[in-house]
Amino acid sequence: MKNKSRVDILSKVDSFPSMPGAAVKMLSLLDNPDTTVTQIEGILRYEPGLTANILKLTNSAYFGLPSKVGSVKHAVVLLGWRRLVQLVMASCVSAIMNKSVPGYDLPPGGLWRHSIAVSVASEGLMKELGLPSDDEVFTAALLHDLGKLVLGSSIKDDIRAIEITASEGVPFEVAEYMVLGTDHAEVGAKILESWSFPPKIVNAVRWHHEPDSAEESDVMLDIVHVANVLCLMMGIGIGREGLRYEPSRLATKRLGLHTAHLEIVASRTMQWVNELTEVFGAK
Amino acid sequence: MRYVVGVGDMKAGQKGDIIVTHALGSCLGLMLYDPVMKIGGMLHAMLPLSKINMEKAQANPFMFVDTGVPELFKAIYNMGGLKGRLIVKAAGCGSPLGNNEMFKIGERNHTVLKKLLWKNSILLKSEDVAGSKSRTVHFNISTGQVIISSNGVETEL
Ligand SMILES: [Fe+2]
Ligand SMILES: [Fe+2]
Repeated sequence: MKNKSRVDILSKVDSFPSMPGAAVKMLSLLDNPDTTVTQIEGILRYEPGLTANILKLTNSAYFGLPSKVGSVKHAVVLLGWRRLVQLVMASCVSAIMNKSVPGYDLPPGGLWRHSIAVSVASEGLMKELGLPSDDEVFTAALLHDLGKLVLGSSIKDDIRAIEITASEGVPFEVAEYMVLGTDHAEVGAKILESWSFPPKIVNAVRWHHEPDSAEESDVMLDIVHVANVLCLMMGIGIGREGLRYEPSRLATKRLGLHTAHLEIVASRTMQWVNELTEVFGAK
Repeated sequence: MRYVVGVGDMKAGQKGDIIVTHALGSCLGLMLYDPVMKIGGMLHAMLPLSKINMEKAQANPFMFVDTGVPELFKAIYNMGGLKGRLIVKAAGCGSPLGNNEMFKIGERNHTVLKKLLWKNSILLKSEDVAGSKSRTVHFNISTGQVIISSNGVETEL
């Protein structure tokens, strides 16, 4: 039964919506150090709605730009093109992720709000820990729970078995694996793989609940792992599984994390989550 | 009226009002009720101590247990509530699995609350705290009834 579930679930990955064209094109630019403003403008020229969203996002207080941005070119100059590519991606996936997720009992917009929160908390933690900024963290954090969209209905069907397993103190993703033969982190990673996302992002999504199981430790992975637990503690996107996840001691040690880091980031996160969900038009 | 208390927020109401807060994880939900006046209030505080971010605490005292709890009491006193009559209930303060101390913000929220109440000789009537579940609280100000729901199961506090 377990293997049948796994096969069924993974077959749903294949029929999952593909990534919007503009995001695919943008993604291919990421690997190319010679990307020019003209190339980015070229892609966005045919996407007026998307461009409007990007400019709105760029002008949100979260990004703290000194002057109002009115063009893609100006946005690239002020934010850097890598950051802009992340924003394009965020705008593209928001439509996919801004819905309710049965099984995990997330209301409409709940997963999207959680995703934004983990992005904001991740960047907050990086800053607080004095780590060099990495624009890809925003995207990895934004997509970490993508697999829940596929796994939700299976969770719903087997919730009793999963909760009996989890009630013995097993982390929720382990209970998912024991009952369904896969978990939302693996499913999410598979979707991103099929979308040809950079391996580093796929890796962070794949192991966001179990950073010590990844082949190599990675700062981005550890950060998303910690930020996720922190946001659930704040109640942002906390669903059926509650807080039944285990923060890794090794990850917090690797990061040199202390309670004060967590608390200061938590105290700043909510304001930005509200700001960004509004800009993205989430409920 | 139906009031929804967000994270780092407080609402007070009177007979006829319902006060709700969703998804308490490690946050503290604190409910005060004066059965004679039929008034009550609810606090949803995120972090134990305001010293971590004084600037935020000034702008929003409800974010922290040490600044939010006194504000909630003040609000109820201002509405005519009497200390000796108040029924105090607490919910939330959960923690993730494992024993990574730095994530026990919920436990610390609870400790700070207990200290504050003890210092002011106030007793908790009942509480549903700790563990790793998410809790939603419905507080009926007409009756003082507090219902905790978690994963579809409702219990009266
Ligand atoms: Fe997750
Ligand atoms: Fe998550």
